[in-house]
Amino acid sequence: MATSAHQRRVIQVFRYDPTRGGDGHYDRFEMDVAHPNSTTMLDILIRIQREQDPSVAFRYACRVNMCGSCGMVINGREGLACKTNVCDLPPDRDITLRPLNHFPVVKDLVVDMTPFFKKYEDAMPFFSPRTIEPEPAVIPPDARERQDIGLATECIQCGCCVSSCSMVNYHDGYAGPAALNRAFTLLADSREGRNAERLRAVLQSCYNCRTEFNCTEVCPKELSPTRAIKYIQRLALKHLGELSRPAGMTNATEEPAPPVAVVPFEPVLQHAGCVAGACSVAAAGGLPDDPSRRQFFRRVIMGIGAASALGVGGLLATAAVGPTLTKTPGRWIPISPMDDLAPAQVSTVTMRYEVTSGFHKETVVKPVMICRRADVNNMVVFNTTCTHLGCTVRWDAGKNIYVCACHGGQFDHEGRVIAGPPPRPLDTYRFKVENGCLMVEVV
Amino acid sequence: MTIEKIHADVLIIGMGGAGQLAALNAFDADPSLKILIVCKALKGKGGCTRMVQGGFNAVLNDDDSHEMHLMDTLKGGQYINDQDLAKTLVEQATPTIKEMETLYGCFFDRNPNGTIHQKAFAGQSFDRTVHKGDLTGIEIISRTTEQIMKRRIPVLEEHRALDLLTDAQGRQVVGALLLNMRNGAFVQVQARATLVATGGGPTQYRFHAPGPEKSVDGLGMLYRSGVRMRDMEMVQFHPTGMIIPGSVVAGALLEEGLRGCGAYMLNGNGERFMANYDPARMERTTRDVMSRSSYLEMQAGRACAEGGVHIVAAHLGPEFVEKNFPGMAARCRQFKYDLARGKVPVSPTAHYVMGGAQIDKDCHTTLERLFVAGEDAGGVHGANRLGGNGVCDSCVFGRQAGKSIARFLTAERGAVPHPDAARVAELCARYERPLERSSGERVFVLRDQIRETNWNKVGVTRREQDLSEAIAEFEAIAEACETVSVEGHAAYNMPWQTYIDLLNMIDVSRMVATSAQERKEQRGAHFRIDYPEQNDEQYLFNVTLTRGADGRPAIVRQPVAFVHKSLAECQQYSKRPPKVNK
Ligand SMILES: Cc1cc2nc3c(=O)[nH]c(=O)nc-3n(C[C@H](O)[C@H](O)[C@H](O)COP(=O)(O)OP(=O)(O)OC[C@H]3O[C@@H](n4cnc5c(N)ncnc54)[C@H](O)[C@@H]3O)c2cc1C
Ligand code: SF4
Ligand code: SF4
Ligand code: FES
Ligand code: FES
Repeated sequence: MATSAHQRRVIQVFRYDPTRGGDGHYDRFEMDVAHPNSTTMLDILIRIQREQDPSVAFRYACRVNMCGSCGMVINGREGLACKTNVCDLPPDRDITLRPLNHFPVVKDLVVDMTPFFKKYEDAMPFFSPRTIEPEPAVIPPDARERQDIGLATECIQCGCCVSSCSMVNYHDGYAGPAALNRAFTLLADSREGRNAERLRAVLQSCYNCRTEFNCTEVCPKELSPTRAIKYIQRLALKHLGELSRPAGMTNATEEPAPPVAVVPFEPVLQHAGCVAGACSVAAAGGLPDDPSRRQFFRRVIMGIGAASALGVGGLLATAAVGPTLTKTPGRWIPISPMDDLAPAQVSTVTMRYEVTSGFHKETVVKPVMICRRADVNNMVVFNTTCTHLGCTVRWDAGKNIYVCACHGGQFDHEGRVIAGPPPRPLDTYRFKVENGCLMVEVV
Repeated sequence: MTIEKIHADVLIIGMGGAGQLAALNAFDADPSLKILIVCKALKGKGGCTRMVQGGFNAVLNDDDSHEMHLMDTLKGGQYINDQDLAKTLVEQATPTIKEMETLYGCFFDRNPNGTIHQKAFAGQSFDRTVHKGDLTGIEIISRTTEQIMKRRIPVLEEHRALDLLTDAQGRQVVGALLLNMRNGAFVQVQARATLVATGGGPTQYRFHAPGPEKSVDGLGMLYRSGVRMRDMEMVQFHPTGMIIPGSVVAGALLEEGLRGCGAYMLNGNGERFMANYDPARMERTTRDVMSRSSYLEMQAGRACAEGGVHIVAAHLGPEFVEKNFPGMAARCRQFKYDLARGKVPVSPTAHYVMGGAQIDKDCHTTLERLFVAGEDAGGVHGANRLGGNGVCDSCVFGRQAGKSIARFLTAERGAVPHPDAARVAELCARYERPLERSSGERVFVLRDQIRETNWNKVGVTRREQDLSEAIAEFEAIAEACETVSVEGHAAYNMPWQTYIDLLNMIDVSRMVATSAQERKEQRGAHFRIDYPEQNDEQYLFNVTLTRGADGRPAIVRQPVAFVHKSLAECQQYSKRPPKVNK
């Protein structure tokens, strides 16, 4: 049954030798795959190790999608090596395997997960009972809290979501999707006793999330950290007053109240929406049951893919669509008089603004690249942060491409990846022109 | 050579259910203890506890009783269990599973009225298996790992224990030699008490259910330390491991509930062969009978094209299968098998080691300062383990060990002898040798060989001649190991790790085959083609062994102590008709 056409595949494997250091490189392996339907990336790596190069290093333990040891970036997208089969990848392209983003590489595809667990621990992922009961709590399976929590406790700590999240790199203190997902399952748990403390510990992080949905898209367990984060945000708004405020907290509440404030803490299904560029907004409020929830999210994600494909281009026209429930408060930052931006050219301008994220203020100084087409009304404002590991990308006017010096990432004038490890196109900003001045929205 | 040295009060080797509950209970009994956990994988990611699908047996219902759970366990074990251990298992399972919820935050599946749901599992007189969907293990291990974080108990991840260290007389265990797998450096830990909890895991067979990270390390280390082992001939084979050509996933389980719900098995000729082996129970028979029957069909040349037999669940209705076995259906789908509509090739797969170190109910072994819990310990399950009693064993005895170690350390204030430095140096040199050879045997080839030998000769069925041949083959592999060469630097060197795995597999294979020679009868998971009947006249003993001077197992038979239930009671209970579920 498990027969399928034999394939000859080329596999590009990221190599990094800790005894030599350096930036690493890709090694090319070729092999005949007799059973593409039943051969996983893990099998491929095991074969490379046995048949071609015993020094290739990768990590695995359970080999059945249960331990989260084998997360890596497969053809630019995070996934489990033991869950991705050869037949799942386009037959006419090389297979590229590289380590997860945002983690130090130990060797080849093996990363040090310490930063992951550090953030996980900071989010107080551990149960601390309100009172020690002699008997397990009596909670019917259809109780609201269990419906809300659903299968979110099934996270296997694989780190795929964190690797996919571009915000993790911006903010050291950002707990990231997996930790917030776990915090959410405890915040919703009526047996838990330390939720005020936990809410305070993770709240700031929740405002760092840009609702990109990358995490939800890559999670091999089909969980939705994004939904968890939105849940915490709403919970916080409901309870902020009740929590005793630590110093500096006032700032957070004085911010123009995000639209979320008015949303009651009720599981209501929100519409999926989309904003310009790669970043998208979607259902966050609804916590319907499984497995319909999973299907629901899968559907939402597919919808987003379609929306962002369409969205490139007429950016100006793309005002926020649908309820802005999930959007963190955005602000418009003046960038440059339009007259200073030459048509049919890419200009790089430094923007500067203050953010109050959670409890503290910081000044962000950051270049943006404005690509103005010949048709003056048609332009794109690119985020200069490389979508690989966050180095700064610059415009190479000679070659007409955006380049990243760190690992050789290259993007065409539309921001699409043309070379190197970046997993997705350059991010873009929403913008508008007011009184002849270009304004960019930051979150 | 200088190696890093660490001092601890308690060294815990392994971070599955047993290791974690031991750490938590030792800590909670005395938070001042310096506890160190080491594990071969990443924090909480290795081991079989995480892979538990079915669930955890515990008496929670007023209509159930510890007495019944005990009798089921003894019946499953065909009377050769250590009755003290079995009694502790069933009695402590109840508080252990409650603490999982009330202290550690697990949330198991509920009945509509909000109490804990318990499901049916083969071989039980009452529905007593606590579960969380079909991913019970993830819930248990994730929650306990977080509790380890909460207590800030240090964990050395990707550090594997190589060998236990003893005092000069070999009477006390004083710590262990570890290898930091990331950079290839050796680490010596000196500890006042050491717990081995690496969770068995018979990956020395062609088909195996545990993750390949496991390699019976604990059992190998224990044997080499000179501790007394028991029941090593008892290896459980699960009847339905998937066959997946060319994939390391081969051997991964399709759960037993499928057969419980009426899935049937076909040989290569499309016949429901169970009619010839157990016409009364057909596919609802016990694990051992089912595995053996499939294996005999395969041996008789009636295998399906993929080399095993087929499991068929389609007649139950695709919606039923998808709804009740979503995880299994998805696992099949990943490999383009259609569990809900087609048939899936399966083979018996090595699942669990019933044997292990001889312990008492407080996890003491025959060596001082050495404790063992979980699958590395023997005796709880006798000749066969019931589904749902495995993770239960690990958690119950991990908890026992933690409490017992804390008590031991309160009473025992003497200094720990230092490990013998010469011995440590010798061990390090021996482990490093393959890295120094520029050419020699290839480790993967040898590991394939040991898996094939075990599968064909020390597997589901056994016979005298095969066993002696196997022992000779193990010795040949051991000899070839002396010339293995491994390329490259020691840091994250996977072939080198495989070499160390292999050394443990060899020692364990020796124990299993030699013990299997000793038991010339059928009992539980152990089946001798040349002695196919169970023989209660002569074989109510346990095969125990220690490592002899020549490195081979030295066997001693120990009669079963019927301390809580008499043989007659056990035999009587076994005659009761099995409970038929659903
Ligand atoms: C697929 C599968 C399904 C199962 N389903 C069930 C079920 O439904 N119900 C049931 O009751 N039982 C089940 N079992 C059996 C049960 O999982 C095990 O008996 C039990 O979990 C073993 O627990 P443990 O703590 O002894 O070891 P494990 O959970 O296996 O943990 C072993 C630990 O030791 C570490 N380790 C290994 N070697 C070394 C070394 N050299 N140095 C340091 N650390 C090391 C590992 O990394 C791991 O952390 C199943 C087993 C498998 C394989
Ligand atoms: S939604 Fe986006 S920003 Fe938020 S955690 Fe997920 S990947 Fe990161
Ligand atoms: S949330 Fe999903 S992607 Fe993130 S660590 Fe957990 S299982 Fe992995
Ligand atoms: S090896 Fe465990 S999830 Fe892939
Ligand atoms: S950061 Fe790696 S290519 Fe840009």
